[in-house]
Amino acid sequence: MENKTVNFMRLLSEDSTHSTVSSDSCEYYQTEIFDLLPSIQASRPEQSRKPSEAYQDGPVPGEESIHGHLSSGPRDKAPTQPLRNMVICIQGKRSVRDRRKMQISDIGFWVSWRRSQSITMKRVWEQMGGALSGLLPWQHTLHAIEGRYGFGVKAYFVLLRYLVNLNLLHCALIFGFIVGPTIFYGRSKSSEPLKFGGNDSVLDFFLGSGYLDRSPVFYCFYTPGSLNMQCLNTPLLYLAGILTILFLTLILVVRRTTVGYKHTWMLGKQYSMNVSYKIFCGWDFTIQDPAAATLKHSFIRNDLKLFLEEQSFSLREAQRTLGQRVRLYLLRFFLNLLVLSLLGGAFYLIYFATNKSQDQGIPGERQWLVILVLQYLPPITISFVNLLLPHIFRKISSFEDYSFTMQVNATLVRSIFLKLASLGIYLFFIFKHLKDQSQCLENLFGREMYKLCIFNFLTAFCNAFFLNYPRKLLQEKYPSSLLAQLWGKQCFLVPFNVLDLVYIQTVSWVGVFYCPLLPLIGVVTLTATFYIQKFSVLRCCVAEQRMFRGSSSSVLFHFMLLLGLLMAVATLGFNLYQPREPACNHRFSCGPFGNGQNVFNVTGVCVDSLPSPAQSTLSYLNSSAFALPLILAEIIILTSYVSRGRANQKAIERLKDMLVMSSSDKRFLVKQHTTLLRRQRNPCRVRPAAIEENQRLPPES
Amino acid sequence: MGNKQTIFTDEQLDAYQDCTFFTRKEILRLHGRYHELAPHLVPMDYTNDPDCKLPLALIVNMPELKENPFCNRIVESFSEDGMGNLSFNEFVDMFSVLSEMAPRELKAIYAFKIYDFNVDNYLCKEDLEKTLNRLTKEELTPEEVVLVCEKAIEEADLDGDHKLSYADFENMITRAPDFLSTFHIRI
Repeated sequence: MENKTVNFMRLLSEDSTHSTVSSDSCEYYQTEIFDLLPSIQASRPEQSRKPSEAYQDGPVPGEESIHGHLSSGPRDKAPTQPLRNMVICIQGKRSVRDRRKMQISDIGFWVSWRRSQSITMKRVWEQMGGALSGLLPWQHTLHAIEGRYGFGVKAYFVLLRYLVNLNLLHCALIFGFIVGPTIFYGRSKSSEPLKFGGNDSVLDFFLGSGYLDRSPVFYCFYTPGSLNMQCLNTPLLYLAGILTILFLTLILVVRRTTVGYKHTWMLGKQYSMNVSYKIFCGWDFTIQDPAAATLKHSFIRNDLKLFLEEQSFSLREAQRTLGQRVRLYLLRFFLNLLVLSLLGGAFYLIYFATNKSQDQGIPGERQWLVILVLQYLPPITISFVNLLLPHIFRKISSFEDYSFTMQVNATLVRSIFLKLASLGIYLFFIFKHLKDQSQCLENLFGREMYKLCIFNFLTAFCNAFFLNYPRKLLQEKYPSSLLAQLWGKQCFLVPFNVLDLVYIQTVSWVGVFYCPLLPLIGVVTLTATFYIQKFSVLRCCVAEQRMFRGSSSSVLFHFMLLLGLLMAVATLGFNLYQPREPACNHRFSCGPFGNGQNVFNVTGVCVDSLPSPAQSTLSYLNSSAFALPLILAEIIILTSYVSRGRANQKAIERLKDMLVMSSSDKRFLVKQHTTLLRRQRNPCRVRPAAIEENQRLPPES
Repeated sequence: MGNKQTIFTDEQLDAYQDCTFFTRKEILRLHGRYHELAPHLVPMDYTNDPDCKLPLALIVNMPELKENPFCNRIVESFSEDGMGNLSFNEFVDMFSVLSEMAPRELKAIYAFKIYDFNVDNYLCKEDLEKTLNRLTKEELTPEEVVLVCEKAIEEADLDGDHKLSYADFENMITRAPDFLSTFHIRI
């Protein structure tokens, strides 16, 4: 009875669980002393005692009432507490309102004016808040999706919208820092004109060569123009723009990650295991559609079944014998080896495809279709690998005997590794190939990223219209055919789709330095993806039967976004620090950093032009003498936060103990008081209990 | 504002606006909804506060409440007689508390009342079992129901009496992330 191993069971006093006189819980609130307790008095005004109050539904002491202690009389705790927030019926609120109005004449002009102003301000804020939330795009669609498919699918679309907004921000920054100055101050005289030339064709839009090569899409377009001051020139603005984008994105993504982490992991127990939330907050009261209601019922049922399954799984896991455990670990080891070999095979495929595509051959020798396919071979391979392997991982993880949430997370971790590593390997091989090239390196690199983005979008498009829609038609028209049975009903797999989103965004970040209009392309493709996925979800998918725990996975998603950003920053840094062959630059001076300049020259010139205190500060910030105190300061701050958090946690535990003990003290005392009063009134009735009572009375009585 | 309406006096509308989370337009719209539930019973002129109550069966047929497994309990907890007969004031009060603008504490109080099926100011095991059966349309086996209810009480019960008092319930619900987003009805 005392001190179970469950978190919320504290030390029990016996009297809080049973009493000798009455076991009726209502009586506790009907006792006379209950009304005299200071805590109850504090929530009732004196007026509730007057019998002339017509709309009182508070309990007269000793009388049973339906509403109990919860709506005990008109409350006017604080004169500025809004009327609407009070827990009384409308008639009661009306009388409070009248009373307040009468008080106004006593209060005086200034206070009443302030009160009315605060009410007006509140109404204005509410209206503004309502207008702003109505501005959020696609709110209605998200609401409809949530009603039909649940929270997980909605989270995907929320992330999509967030990425669209992020890309819009990038576009604005790029326009301000990069495109704007080039438009206003022109480009250098030796740059090529932007006209449809002789060799250009529509294919250029897919290959990123020819016309597109010379267009503002790629790096080489932005040659330094007439803006040529020491600290304010086009190259510096270009660099500043990109750095601002990356830095701002880092702050936003880190903030989103930490908010999500705090929300799910550190709020005491994990939300997913809290059955009480499922029961009391499970039903969505906004549901009006019978189909949605049936769906919600099945969601809740599945959720609870999942919870029960996890309980029985943990029970089963605890009961594993040593032999079973050894066999299981061996099985897991071999499956992981299988996963690693699959990954290795995928990487080799990508290497092979990259080599093949870089082998240009004689131009004009091949047909345009062959050229297109060869150029797109790496994106095709990467997409194929990213499409196939996660499903294989999913199958593999089902053999490893984990709980369902653990399975999903294991698959996710492997898929994340696959996607990021395949991108990393591709970038690595591109670098190796491009080093031997004599053309503008940056444009070639930007071209590869551009092709990746375009192909991702095409894949999503074809997937929705040529794979999902026929599958749905097949299910509808011929549900008993073999193909339909094999394929099964499709559901919107949230984890894999979120991974796709994060991957596309990573590519966009990696390529933004070399292809400044990539965020604009990103906005267009993401918006189109929204509508494509909306079509796919609403028309082609059924709701998934087994829901996974979204909370832990969403932290993983944000973490992957962060990883992608870090990879982009690392790639950029690595590229910028590469030594450049002077022979290349001499012939092809491309982009803002052409003409023998590189990033360090340009920034060096700017720094030299600054006044000398600023220069010395900058050189100090650069040196290692600054880095060490910085690291020390960060460690100290971190330690103080962690220890403060721990101390708060301990205080919370102590306060919980106090809460439980004082409420059981209160119950004990109230019951004692009641029994004493009762004994005074009916001395003959409680004689059999009196003997035990004597033994249990506290010494003071 | 546009046409002069004769359903309520201005003073009444002001009072409604202060006592609920609705604007004047919404109050008039609510009156329209209330009226169309029983056009022959509900008067169009409310200026002299007529005493008119609609029975539970009519109110529960509203599209906003029809699919809700707790529709009966919701209406009962807002009715003064506890039987589910709502006057217009109680009707407006109900939708005001369930609107999106009501604060968490207010909603928690009424949520407790709604889930308290036997109206004893405690959420005991029977209350929880009834709640769970309504939520899952009785598709869980009885053993599963008992298991889930025991776990729920274990989680939320602070003072160890194997049932949830309002303090336990409130403590649990204030930490629930989507209580506010699920516990509202849009009308």
